[in-house]
Amino acid sequence: MSAFLSYAATLLVYLGVNTIACWGLNLQFGVGGVMNFAFILYQAMGAYITAVLTLPAAATQVDERYILGWHLPWPLPLAGAAVAGAALALAVGSFALRPARRDFQATVMLVVSIIAATLVTSEQGWFNGSQGLFGIPQPFAASLGLGIDGYYWFFVAVTAGAALVALLGTDLITSSPWARKLRAMRENADAAAALGVNVRAESIKAYVIGGAIAAVSGGLLVEFIGAWSPAAWGTGETFIFFVAIIVGGLGNNFGAFLGAFLVLGVFLELPTYLPQFASANTEESLQSAAIGVLILAFLWFRPQGIFPERRRRLSRLVPAGVTEPVVTQPTVVQSAATESAALVRDRPQEQRGPAGAVPRTQAPAAAATRAPSARLAVSELRRGFGGVNAVDRLSFELVPGQATGLIGPNGAGKSTALKLIAGAIAPAGGQVLVDGTDVTGQPAYKMARLGVIRTFQHTSEFAKLTVLENLIAAAPEQPGGTLGGALLGRRHARARQQELLGEAWALLADFQLTSLADTYAGRLSGGQRRLVEIMRSLMARPRILLLDEPMAGVNPTLRLTIEEHMKRLRDGGLTMLMVEHELGSVERVCDSVIVMAQGKLLATGTMAELRGNQEVVSAYLAG
Amino acid sequence: MSQIVLSLGFGLVTASILALGAVGFTLQFGVTNLFNLAFGETMTVSAFVAYLAMVSLHWNLWWAMAAGGAAGMVLSLLISRLVYLPFLRRGTSQFAMVMVTVAVSFILKNVLQIFSGATYYSYQLPPERPIRILGMVFDARQLTIIGLAAASLLGLHLLFKYTRLGKAMRATSDNGPLARSVGIPTDRVVSAAWLLSGLFAGIAGVALAVDLGTFGSTTGGSYLLPIVAAAVFGSVGEPYGAVLGALVIGLASEVAANYDPQLKDVVAFAILVLVLLLRPDGLRAGRVQMRAEVTA
Repeated sequence: MSAFLSYAATLLVYLGVNTIACWGLNLQFGVGGVMNFAFILYQAMGAYITAVLTLPAAATQVDERYILGWHLPWPLPLAGAAVAGAALALAVGSFALRPARRDFQATVMLVVSIIAATLVTSEQGWFNGSQGLFGIPQPFAASLGLGIDGYYWFFVAVTAGAALVALLGTDLITSSPWARKLRAMRENADAAAALGVNVRAESIKAYVIGGAIAAVSGGLLVEFIGAWSPAAWGTGETFIFFVAIIVGGLGNNFGAFLGAFLVLGVFLELPTYLPQFASANTEESLQSAAIGVLILAFLWFRPQGIFPERRRRLSRLVPAGVTEPVVTQPTVVQSAATESAALVRDRPQEQRGPAGAVPRTQAPAAAATRAPSARLAVSELRRGFGGVNAVDRLSFELVPGQATGLIGPNGAGKSTALKLIAGAIAPAGGQVLVDGTDVTGQPAYKMARLGVIRTFQHTSEFAKLTVLENLIAAAPEQPGGTLGGALLGRRHARARQQELLGEAWALLADFQLTSLADTYAGRLSGGQRRLVEIMRSLMARPRILLLDEPMAGVNPTLRLTIEEHMKRLRDGGLTMLMVEHELGSVERVCDSVIVMAQGKLLATGTMAELRGNQEVVSAYLAG
Repeated sequence: MSQIVLSLGFGLVTASILALGAVGFTLQFGVTNLFNLAFGETMTVSAFVAYLAMVSLHWNLWWAMAAGGAAGMVLSLLISRLVYLPFLRRGTSQFAMVMVTVAVSFILKNVLQIFSGATYYSYQLPPERPIRILGMVFDARQLTIIGLAAASLLGLHLLFKYTRLGKAMRATSDNGPLARSVGIPTDRVVSAAWLLSGLFAGIAGVALAVDLGTFGSTTGGSYLLPIVAAAVFGSVGEPYGAVLGALVIGLASEVAANYDPQLKDVVAFAILVLVLLLRPDGLRAGRVQMRAEVTA
């Protein structure tokens, strides 16, 4: 009986430790999309640091060598492990997270993990080589005098306490506005950057926190076992943790717990109960192969895992005052934006083309004109790809508060020009000036923070975020939108979140999409996704809006709706630059038009003027 | 000094094998945009197939290597058709696809291990007379491997430059959707890329087993690191860049191994880190970026 009880206690400790580790990985991968293929390295590192902080200075007569040996009281060794894990993650993350592609990042981390394993087993002075460390004193074991069984159960309690702290901490983070940014990044890093998220910095932060959590889990394990051996932390172990959170459900803390239980507990312990039918090596290989099959099976049949990420129905939290009136009385929208009413220009109607089905209004779309419009000028902008000059000495200036069209045949360099302006790609030469300040070569997120917001040619919604979340994720200045803010708790973020919910709801009402507020954006039609993207860019407080083919792939009715919104934004005084092939829309929306061909500026003027321009007409025919 | 010249010789052999592997890896990536972490296992399987051909059919090394190459082609195409393509058609995300390739690698490696046991195998090739060239020492087999790598790369160059298939591959690599829309049968091009990649993996796998002397179920997988480093050095998806990367990493790691054998992998890793710090998306970033825009 006693043997069974201590076995049960051991399993519980393992379950707790693995669950904590899975929460760390879930924060990195499930929430942040960072594929930490070096995960086991952090657990091993935490275990080692805990060991050497607990052990007294290395005795020279015994054949055991290690660094530090500070003999610190509990729980300082665990805290040291967390710091070391975070530091290692910072170091590794600062180069491994540089490539934009996640599969590159993952591979680099895998490489880090393999190299580290090689170094640790061969390094005698620091890590005692492949022998590892042993005789690590268990915390309070001597002073408690509980006996072996009693101590096991005491450690179950310690692990449970640590797990509780980890759960509260990760829950605080994953429910914060910062985690919403992480999830947006996970879904579409480029789009997140275009809305002002510093993708690399935020990825590194998620990576660092996950690394610290993993290190603590490793520390707990080494305190329980009392020994540390590099062989126990093989590179392949990383994938078992990945399997666990994929099976349990990515982005879901309960799923991560369940995965730890099912995969790291039941699945790996099972062979002990089955009769041995082959050699130990063969059984181990079979188990590893089965893990591969498990990954494929889950990614095929249930990629979201047993407990999928929780869909956050934010519409329930929308402040009561905003909900109903906006839908029925559009005037509320107007009053919400009165602070910038001065910017709303009174435009003569007759200069415009035929109005669409939606009645013209002078009301700017909810948040659009909060920020004063900016001036944008580019001069001599250049960028080539493999010898082709995609953009060749392009110069123009946008009239503030006006809508400008950017047209030209396919391959003229229009989209590249937008990307250069928005900082998505770096120019080879030339200047981009916003309000007279040179901002050439600034990365996309900084341009977004300056108010230069770009939409994408291909739909770029954050698929696994609801429509409402898509909108709120884009808003700047959220107190809970940083890691520090997230740690300060929900109360700290609440007021601003309420405000943003109201703002987003008003925008949804304006676009008549409130019924879709809690739907995952990935489930919308192509046209609806376009609308989400436009609303999202408005939430980002644009001072200059760069639209890359907003009408592409949109049905004619919705196209008219989008046109109406564009016109209202224009009438609200927002500076816009719109790349579009639908020339009718360009004519109706844009005050003036820039024509590009073969990377160069060909002509500027109103559509009517350009129609008479022989050069423009022939460029189109040639293109 | 002579020691360094000597290790340059080893470096050339290593670089040849690396180049075969890195070109195969990067070629397939360039066309299909999939980072295939099961590439090393294709190498291992081919090494075993060559072993079987030599031991049970008594083929000579070069015919056995051809058999290994053929096995690589078949395996590579099978994996892509039976596993990767179905997942891609389902719209599996980029990072889930990496997990899929990891899973395939796990399955292949461990199934191999079940059949091969945890032991190491050797082609039992008789020792050959050393040949001295410019202070470097080779044997005939190593020279053949270098020649074979050079010939394969030349063949690939001619394929790219002068054949319809090669041009179609380059077009698909540069801009898949555009290639499809101008009537290039991208499906067949993708299959061809998997076949070619498998062929390169197969030859590289057998050559690696020859060079190392012994091999086992984990040999190819553990060689993936320098292959990826070479591919990243040359900007992933760029066969010519991969050759350059293979040369740099092959030579540097063998010279470093002079001082400490442990340094071999560390050097490859250090070069990888350096490249990532200087140019996160590879040395020749321009074309890769163009491709990224298309696939985004």
